[in-house]
Amino acid sequence: MSDRDYDVIVVGAGAGGGVAAGVLAEAGKKVLLLERGRAQTFAEIGRDHLRNQRLSQYGVNAGPDLEGNPRVDTAGKTVRPTDPGYQNNAALVGSGTRVYAGMAWRFMPQDFQMASVYGVPDGSSLADWPLTYADLVPYYERAEWEIGVCGDHRMMGHLPEYAKPYPMPPLALAHKSVVHERGLEKLGWGRVRVPRLINSVPYHDRAACVHCQHCVGFACPVDAKNGSQNTLIERAIASGNCTLQTEMMVSTLLTDASGHVTGIRAIDRTGAMCEFTAEVVVLSGGAVETARLLLNTTTTREPNGLGNNGDQVGRHLQGHYYPGAVGLFDEVMYDGVGPGGAIATCQFNHGNDGIVGGGMLQDDDIVLPIIFWKRALPPELPRWGRANKDFMRENYRRVSDIRGPLQEIPSPDSRVTLSPTVRDRYGIPVAQFSGTTHPETVRIAQFMNAQAREWLTASGAVQVWSDEPTLHLSGGQHQAGTCRMGDDPARSVVDRWCRVHNHENLFIADGSVHVTNGGFNPVLTIMALAWRTAENMMREW
Amino acid sequence: MRETLTSQQWDTLRAAMKVIIPPDDDPGALEAGVETYFRQQFDRDLQDFVIIYQHGLDALDAEALASTGEPFATIPLDTQEFLLTRIEHGSVQTAWPIDPRMFFSGLVDHCAEGFYSDPSNGGNRDGAAWKMIGFEVTA
Repeated sequence: MSDRDYDVIVVGAGAGGGVAAGVLAEAGKKVLLLERGRAQTFAEIGRDHLRNQRLSQYGVNAGPDLEGNPRVDTAGKTVRPTDPGYQNNAALVGSGTRVYAGMAWRFMPQDFQMASVYGVPDGSSLADWPLTYADLVPYYERAEWEIGVCGDHRMMGHLPEYAKPYPMPPLALAHKSVVHERGLEKLGWGRVRVPRLINSVPYHDRAACVHCQHCVGFACPVDAKNGSQNTLIERAIASGNCTLQTEMMVSTLLTDASGHVTGIRAIDRTGAMCEFTAEVVVLSGGAVETARLLLNTTTTREPNGLGNNGDQVGRHLQGHYYPGAVGLFDEVMYDGVGPGGAIATCQFNHGNDGIVGGGMLQDDDIVLPIIFWKRALPPELPRWGRANKDFMRENYRRVSDIRGPLQEIPSPDSRVTLSPTVRDRYGIPVAQFSGTTHPETVRIAQFMNAQAREWLTASGAVQVWSDEPTLHLSGGQHQAGTCRMGDDPARSVVDRWCRVHNHENLFIADGSVHVTNGGFNPVLTIMALAWRTAENMMREW
Repeated sequence: MRETLTSQQWDTLRAAMKVIIPPDDDPGALEAGVETYFRQQFDRDLQDFVIIYQHGLDALDAEALASTGEPFATIPLDTQEFLLTRIEHGSVQTAWPIDPRMFFSGLVDHCAEGFYSDPSNGGNRDGAAWKMIGFEVTA
């Protein structure tokens, strides 16, 4: 490995970085995996209902630290990770995969060809991916088997037939899911068992799900939730080829006089600056932090940031609007069987009259009482007094909601740039947001709200309500798009192998590279792409 | 813990939380310990709100005095409800140093956070609110 410290440095130990580190370390490469957060225990993540990944009212349970990590929101305000305008994702070993719901969706073939299928709405940057669903299938399979997905492949009628089933059967259904499945049958809409990165039976020497009430937003009490931290990162370390260093904040990439990447510069937990060199660098910090790192690294050849000569780094930021509706039922829907979200329809992901794309809808995971109080009550209900308490007592278990991520229509103006004035605790310029999603996204949300209301009514809801969607910037946990993939260096940041254009040894393995973000939770696609990227690196090495 | 509100302000706050989440067959905010939630939070995440509570609770008392001649904590429940409904809609008779609607909306949110969040936050003693609504932690 010549005089370099490592063969590969992977920046960020989340879904993509964890997979890349695992694949490369098992292939014999010396890997340094850097994570700005910590390796947190179950107890450290805790079950605080006001400070978690689902409701960050006063704090977060999975990083980053509230102090010293500011960003600047679209209004120009300096915000902390608890602020919705911060667009937070987790910062710990495993990143979001430690505390996620583990929704294990493949994107659909059409999701990779949105511009060809629908045309490009005025003002949007909708585009095709430079690869197809078929290109990703082998890697989806690997993620499903090696990280561990439960589900029923025979019910994935919205996709081409699976060559390989899921390794585990779907999770047992809560009562409400049975009711919602009947609703779908009544409507004649397609029914899907939600595939999840959760052990429905013991798998890979770890236990099966115990159906607790604290799945999404928290760590699993029996380690039945499959993230990168307990699969590929564990394997990377077991190979003897991977060093994981936590609380390491990468500030810039190191480059030589010709602008070629030679390593990274980071600040460790003591505040000391350190440098590591490597033959290859993989960025996996998520769509906000990866863009920030590229923009913070400038050279004579690329004065506006690495990979940014086409002014594309940081643009097209997208996440997921979550349209849906809430329904009140006469019967008790809630039986406490977690995680809860188990039945979905992909009836409206594509093929909707006058709508560009669409999204998946599913019944939701268990909603914690305070989150229910804040987000699920009918709009006309008094917020306090006897009527409010009576409703909570009578109806916490009679309310059920249907919602899901819709495929956003990207805008080039929805954007991550660097703040000219605000710096983090290490003195590094922070991410600043501007713009919004494309207005077409709001139309899709209105359409999806209506479908959710129809489903709830078919399931037997006696009253349904939903929020009116508004135009805003979207990022958050499903953040994507800021280093989009493409064949044309003037209109994209990475090529079809997720290599930064004109940088033979700089790759990206996170949601940044998504051209569009599917009408599905994106994590399995991030994992599959990272797998493909890492294997291709090995083929060429 | 440092004292954040005067005893009269605490009386007013306790009376208000009793109206916002009232006791019936199940505990209300007061019985479930939401006061403890406020005491913890005034030293933690709601430090910046202490001054808002001081102003808001004094103004609530002044409002009660102006319309009934008595402090808020001692007037009958239906009069308390009536006053809070007016404050919720910003229709007040006295001069408020802060926006009464925002004060009340924050007060309601904080009462609910104490009452419905996990007991470690101090205000859902023995999981009383969870028992009431049927939320049980099994694992």
